[in-house]
Formats: sequence, structure tokens, C-alpha cells
Amino acid sequence: MRPDLHPMDDIHAALDDAGDQLPESDVAPHTPLLEVRGLGKRYGGVVALQGISATVNSGEVTCVLGDNGAGKSTLIKILSGVVSYDQGQYFVAGKRVKFSSPRQALDRGIATVFQDLAVVPLMSIWRNFFLGSEPTRGVWPFRRLDIEHAQDVTVAELARFGLDVQDPHQPVGTLSGGERQCVAIARAVYFGARVLILDEPTASLGVKQAGMVIRHVVQARERGLGVIFITHNPRHAYPVGDRFIMLNHGAMVANVTREDIDLNDLTQLMSGGADLDELAHEVQDHPG
Amino acid sequence: MAMTRRGWPAVVAVATLLVTGCTAGSRPATNDDAVLETLSVTESASATGSGDADPDRRLRFAIVTHGSTGDPFWDVVKTGAEDAGQANNAEIDYQSDPEPGSQAQLIASVTSRQVDGLIVSMADPDALRETIAAAVAAGIPVITINAGEDRSAEFGALTHIGQSEASAGEGAGDRLRDAGVTKLLCVIHEAGNVGQEQRCQGAARGLGVDGSAEPGDIMRTLRVNGSNLAETETTIATELQADPQIDGVLTLNAAVAVTAATAIGTSGSGAALATFELSDDVVQDIGEGDILFAVDQQQYLQGYLPVVFLALFARSGNVVGGGEGVPTGPRYITQENLDSVHIGTR
Amino acid sequence: MTAATMSARGTPVTPGRSPLLRALARPELGSVIGAIAIAAFFTTQTDQFATWAGVANVLDVTAALGIMAVAVALLMIGGEFDLSAGVLTASTGLVTALLVDRLGVNIWEGIAWSLLFALAVGFLNGILVTRTRVPSFIVTLGTFFALQGLNVGVTKQLTETVQVGGVDEAQGYGVAQAVFASTWTVGEGEFRVAILWWIVVAVVATLLLVRTKFGNWIFASGGAPVSARSVGVPVGRTKILLFMATAAAAWLVGTISVVRLTSVQANVGLGEEFNYIIAAVIGGCLLTGGVGSAIGASIGALIYGMTQQGIVFAQWDNDWFPLFLGGMLLAAVLINTVVVRRRAEDSPG
Repeated sequence: MRPDLHPMDDIHAALDDAGDQLPESDVAPHTPLLEVRGLGKRYGGVVALQGISATVNSGEVTCVLGDNGAGKSTLIKILSGVVSYDQGQYFVAGKRVKFSSPRQALDRGIATVFQDLAVVPLMSIWRNFFLGSEPTRGVWPFRRLDIEHAQDVTVAELARFGLDVQDPHQPVGTLSGGERQCVAIARAVYFGARVLILDEPTASLGVKQAGMVIRHVVQARERGLGVIFITHNPRHAYPVGDRFIMLNHGAMVANVTREDIDLNDLTQLMSGGADLDELAHEVQDHPG
Repeated sequence: MAMTRRGWPAVVAVATLLVTGCTAGSRPATNDDAVLETLSVTESASATGSGDADPDRRLRFAIVTHGSTGDPFWDVVKTGAEDAGQANNAEIDYQSDPEPGSQAQLIASVTSRQVDGLIVSMADPDALRETIAAAVAAGIPVITINAGEDRSAEFGALTHIGQSEASAGEGAGDRLRDAGVTKLLCVIHEAGNVGQEQRCQGAARGLGVDGSAEPGDIMRTLRVNGSNLAETETTIATELQADPQIDGVLTLNAAVAVTAATAIGTSGSGAALATFELSDDVVQDIGEGDILFAVDQQQYLQGYLPVVFLALFARSGNVVGGGEGVPTGPRYITQENLDSVHIGTR
Repeated sequence: MTAATMSARGTPVTPGRSPLLRALARPELGSVIGAIAIAAFFTTQTDQFATWAGVANVLDVTAALGIMAVAVALLMIGGEFDLSAGVLTASTGLVTALLVDRLGVNIWEGIAWSLLFALAVGFLNGILVTRTRVPSFIVTLGTFFALQGLNVGVTKQLTETVQVGGVDEAQGYGVAQAVFASTWTVGEGEFRVAILWWIVVAVVATLLLVRTKFGNWIFASGGAPVSARSVGVPVGRTKILLFMATAAAAWLVGTISVVRLTSVQANVGLGEEFNYIIAAVIGGCLLTGGVGSAIGASIGALIYGMTQQGIVFAQWDNDWFPLFLGGMLLAAVLINTVVVRRRAEDSPG
């Protein structure tokens, strides 16, 4: 087991005193888990993203909404360490960071579940669960996977998210789309993620499956995680979101809390058109 | 438009005329053109070389063979050609590709560069027919070497230099019969190589010279993978175990011969071994008595002679061979004449 | 939250699978059945096949191929090809032989340099594939030709011929011969030590694949490289190491060959890379990566060895062997596809 990853017991401990206190002692009580200020990214001469400012707190779901090409995927890639930003600032637990690989982001507790890329379909459930952070025992050259432990943990952790797996050897490819998302989310939570980034987790799912994923989002929030939920469907975002960030053409056009907006406004905001500017002006009066 | 054998005296006559013209000191270039125009029947073949004005001009010859890169056999041919090039003030451009289609392309590209002569080995004559005809039509004298003797004249080559595979095989079979071999294993290491088939068929004829035996009773052929010698060794051993009646093995190149010697040892067969081609190891095995004899086709000559012949043709219009091929072998290397062998030219 | 409540809310519960179903989904299943059938066939058709001598010959051919097939299988599971592996077996032998023959070094020193050379080639392949993202098929085709040219060019420069011998006169040859090329006799059969090397390689590769973290990364790198990278698997490093492992296997086979034959020709090894891939595919590897096993690749090599030698034992015209090989390859691909479909694509939704 990697020293930088929290075993299950630590998670329980963290949950017990979830709330104001963050695991890192040098972090002030009200420092957000994740904060960006004026974040921007260019690809050559093309501005993909600019002026994004937002915060993510423990036990909150921040929904990022926007149409295709609005800049959602660029934002996720920056947050998860896939690409680097070239404008603004990015703080994790109060410390400025600039990631050059997803591994670095993971090590800071930022886990990303990419749409359709969450798992390796031909590998078994338990191997997927521990992929990249495999538990081992023994001393090199006899260091080997702790398969029994890995299977037990997989079954137990998935059960906590309501997925009853009898055969952890089963390939993930035999699971439904919602179940795969569940595996990915449970994995991120188990490995000590404090911020969970979900990239369109409901996009390709039916109503029932989407509902299942949204329940997982709620479960993750209840366990004290900060969740960033990327979607283009306000109906999926509204029931769980505490805060809504709207992107359009690479810029942030709205940053509102749940109290400031209802589902109709949110839907209208998404549909864009003439209402967009008006709404944008209206919501600017409410500081995020 | 392949040139027939009967066409050649005319060409030679023209060439001689041209050379005479040159040595007489008249304006050679104009002479060439004039003669060529009047002699359309020769299709302008070989005029480029034979009418050359300057006997000191450096000649450019191309060799295009079917050898694969790094084949020791072809390496010796290349060395022979380069040695002859040095002796005859000629530049040698050696190229090879075992794939008949690619070999044809190499010939076409050489033709387009208007070399003074082309030397080609024809493992698959039909695949090369068109490009060789094009070279002949473009006035490039062609000599075939090594393989394709029976088609050489038909394609319009000056001559063929090489060893008749069938008669070499027959000679080998003859000698193996004299050594007491009654059933022979002939090891083919390149599938679909006509020359290798001919060697084995020739050997069968040589063995059963009285005609009483069916070829199948006195010889088996075995196909091995020439680029995996360890596997080749095992496959030969397996064959010897499977058919204990085999008391003679004929291999067709030096590397396979050495593995066969080992296979005969490990399988406990005691079969007599003979091979085509020579190498240091084969020479050593002959000296130690593990290999009865090697059929040497003296391929150094297959590189050396065509360059000399082409240089002679280009500078003096002489053609060697009299319409027949020029044999470079077989020469049988045994313990008795082993001392005369200089590896490096083998 | 219990399973019962989830079921009540309509969440599918994954069923346990019977051991039989699990066995049917093993990637090497088809090859095991094929190997048994082929062994049975040649045992009944020939007298020599099922003798000590026959088995020794079959295993001799199988061992060298098996070592390479196992390494190539790992690489293919990791989602890449190596077309330079065959010619590298010649290159490594040449490095050893040239150092021994030209510089008169101890054979072990030659073998060590040769390993370094192989690892460098593997590293180069890996770096080129992972950095440029050019398909490994093309990159290693380039290395294949480059090595082929180097083999002949350098050998000719140094020796003026294209074969290097005299390995058996080198210092330390006796021990090297014992380690890489000795035989032991059982009944009538002379078994080669390469067979032990093959078994060691197959066992180590199997343990690596299913019992270690690195093995997990191999499956993930080939099965879904983007997903693997996103959860922190060092996909690039994994692939580079796999290329280096394949090159190291080529070194082992090249060394076994040069010590056994005591000489190398610069033009051997060409075309062998396809036999490695064939053995790996017959053993259950998918061309798309993510599936396969080291045991399967070993059985694929065994099928190759049994068929190749069996045809000779049966006194058939062995011109037909490539036809059998091609047929088996196609059958294996079809079976693999079905198995994988059964394994992953009959998902509930």
C-alpha cells in the first residue's frame, strides 16, 4: 500500500470528524478543498478557457454546466492534471499547485472519473478497483499483489455504495454503465479522494442508471467529499448541486448557489439564447 | 521484344564496326547515331557500350541479384564483381532483393539510369522477363548469372554465367552413390526456389542412374527454415529418426550443412553428408571427415566474370560464350583438393 | 445498505459465476484443447512422436520459440507489437560473437555487452512508440530494417564476411555452454537446457502477469490505456519496460543460439518475429491488447513445435506446414474473439 493513500480505517476516521476539520493540519478551518482564480488555457492561439474562478468545499457538490465546446473538458483536464493551465491560479487545500500528471493530482486527493474511460472493461472488478494503487505484500523480488485483501476490500467498498458483487473476478465489462461509474467512484473514495471530479457520469445512461449514479454522488458528498459534477443536463445537476457554474465559449457566465436559482432558471440558463445575458446580469448581483 | 540468339551476330557485327570507327579516330558520336539509325533491326541494343569513344572511360555496371541481404553466398559474388571492377576500371552497383517483384523494380530503376551493363540472377525468370526486355531494348547489354540459364538467351542476354543446377545435382548424386548411399535426404532451405528443386532432382537422377528405382524410394526432400538454424538442426534430426533408412544427406548451403553435420551426430544416424557451397566451417568439416564433399560453384567467378565480359564488350565488342553459357562449376571439394580452396573467394 | 434493499430498488446484482464458466473464459482454453488434440493425433499417426527422442526434438523447437512467444505475449497484452524481435536474436548473437572473435574478450563479457545492446534497442523501441505515438508496428518495422542493415553492414566491416565463428574458442565457453547449450539425456532423448530456460521464463512471466502490480499495469496499458493513465498507471513506462523485456528475451534466445551453433550468420532471424506473434495469438492473445497469458503463449509455441516436428515424423511433405500454421492462426483468432465476447460483451446493459 502506498503511504500517501488512506486505508479504509483512515476514511472512517475522516468521516467521524468530517465537517470543518480537514486532514491537513496546516490548513485553516475554512480553506476550500479546491479553489481556482482566473484560470485560463490556450491551445496555440485559441483560447479554450479564461477567467474561471470557483471554489469547492467539503461536503458540497459543485455542478459545472455547459454545452459541448463550452470548455468543460478543458477545465476538468486542468483540475485533474491531464493538462497544465497557463493563466490564473489553482489552489488545493490552500496551497498553489500546477500539476503535470494525473498522478500528482491523485496524490493531492483529487480523483477524476472520466466519462466512458473510468475502467478497463476486460479486467476483473477487483483489479480495476485497485488499478494504479495495488496493495502488495512481501519483499522484492517476492513482492506480490495482496489478492485476498484486494478482493475483500473491493466487495466491502462496493457494498457501501450499494453494489453487491459476488464474484470480484468478473470482468468490469459485464457490468452496466451505472455500475461501472459506481466502481470508479467507490475506488476514488476508498483511495482518499477529497475532491471527486465526475465527467458527464450520466451522459450515456438511461433514467434508472442515471438515478443510480446520482445516488452515488449524494453518498460521496455525505462522506465529506467535495464533488465536481460535470454535466450538460440540468435535471441531473439540480437535485444534488449546492453550487452551479455555467460555462460558455470558454468563459464563466454564471456562478450561483442553489438558493439563488431554481430548476427552471437553471434549464433556461442552459438553453442559452436571449435570456442568457439578462440572467447573467441578474446573477452577478449575487456574489458567489 | 526479346532478342533471339540468331540476332546476336548482327549486333556483334555492328559493335565491331563501331569500335573500328572509334579507333580510326573519326567523330564517334555522329558515327554512332548514323549507324544506329540505319540498323534499326538490332533495336539499338548494346550500342551504348560497344561504341564507346574513350577506352579509359570509367564504366558503370549494375548487378541485381535475388540474394537476401547478408547471405554469405551472394557476398562472395559481390566481392568478385568488385574485384573485377577494380581491375577493369568499372564502377559496380550491387543491389539485391529476394522478392521477384522487387528485384524487377530494381532492374527497372537501374535501366533508367543508363548503366553500361546489367548483370542479373534469375531465380524467377518470368517475373523479370519484362524489365530485362526493357533493359535490352534501352541498349543495355545484359549478362545473366547463377540462375535462369535456360531462359537467358531467350531474354536477350549476351551469355549466362553459372552452374547448371541439374547437372551439379546429378554429379553430387553420382558421387554419393559411389560412396554407398542408397537413400538420400535432400534439404531445401528456400521454398519455391527452382534452382534448389533442380539440385535435388538432379541428385535423385545421379543416385538412381540405373533407373531401376523410383525417385521416391531413393530420395526424400525436406523443407527447413533457413533463417532459424537451431530449428533446422532439430528438423533434420527428426527426419533422420523418422526414417532410419536414410544413409545420405545433401544440403544446399553451407550453414545448413554445418547444422546437418550436428544433426547426424545427435540422431546417431551415421548418414554420409555432402553439400553445395563452401564456408570456413564446411572446409573444416571436410577436413575432419564429417562432410564427404562440397559442390563448389565458384560463385566468385559469377561476380568476376560478367564484369570482365561486359567490360570487354563495352571496350572491344567481344562476346564470350559463343551463345552457350559459361559454367563456373561444379567443382567438387574433398579432402584431397581442400588445400586449393581460398575462403573469401568462395 | 444491504443487497436486498438495493435489489428492491431495482439495482442489478452481479451473479456469481460457476467455475466452469470461468474456465471457458480463460484466454488459453482454445490452445490447450488444440495442443491435446495435436499431441494425440501425432501420437497415433507416428511411432516416434511419443518417444523420448521425439519429445526432446519437439521441446527443442518449442523452447526457443516459447521464450520469445512469452515475451511477445506480454508485449501484446500491453497493446504493442515488436517486429524487430526476430532479427534482434541475430543481432545479439553477433554482438557476442564479434566481441569474442575480434577482440578476444571472455565470452561472458561478450554476453553482458550483448544484453546491454538488446536493452538499449528495446528502450529505443519503447521510447519511440510512447513518445511519438506512432504505432509500434511501424516503429519496430523501422528497427527491424535498421538492425538487419546493421547486422550485415557491421559484420562485413569487421570480418569481411557475413558470418562470425570461433565462439567455442573463447575464454569461458565451457561454462557458457553448460548454462545455455548443454543437454541431458532421458531415455533416447537429448533434452536441451533451453527447455529449462523456457519454463523459467514462462513461470516468471505468469507470476509477473497475475500476481504483481506490474502485471496489472500490463493488462491495463493494453486494455484501456487512457483509463489506466487517468488512475495513475505509468502506461508509457510499462510499455517501455515491456519492449525491453522482449529485447532481453531476444538476447536470451540469441545467446542460446550462438553458444549452441558456435557461429552466427548476419542474415538469420528474419521472419521469425511472425512465428512469435503466431504462437502468442494461438495462445490467446488479442491483437488489440489487454488479453492473453504467458502460459497460453507457451502452449502456442508447443503447438508450433509439435506440428512442425510431427509433420516430419509422419513423413509428410513438410511444404504443407505453413498452411497448417496459417489455419491454426485463423482458428485461434476466431476462438479468441468468441471467448472475449463471452467474457466482456454479454453485459446486462
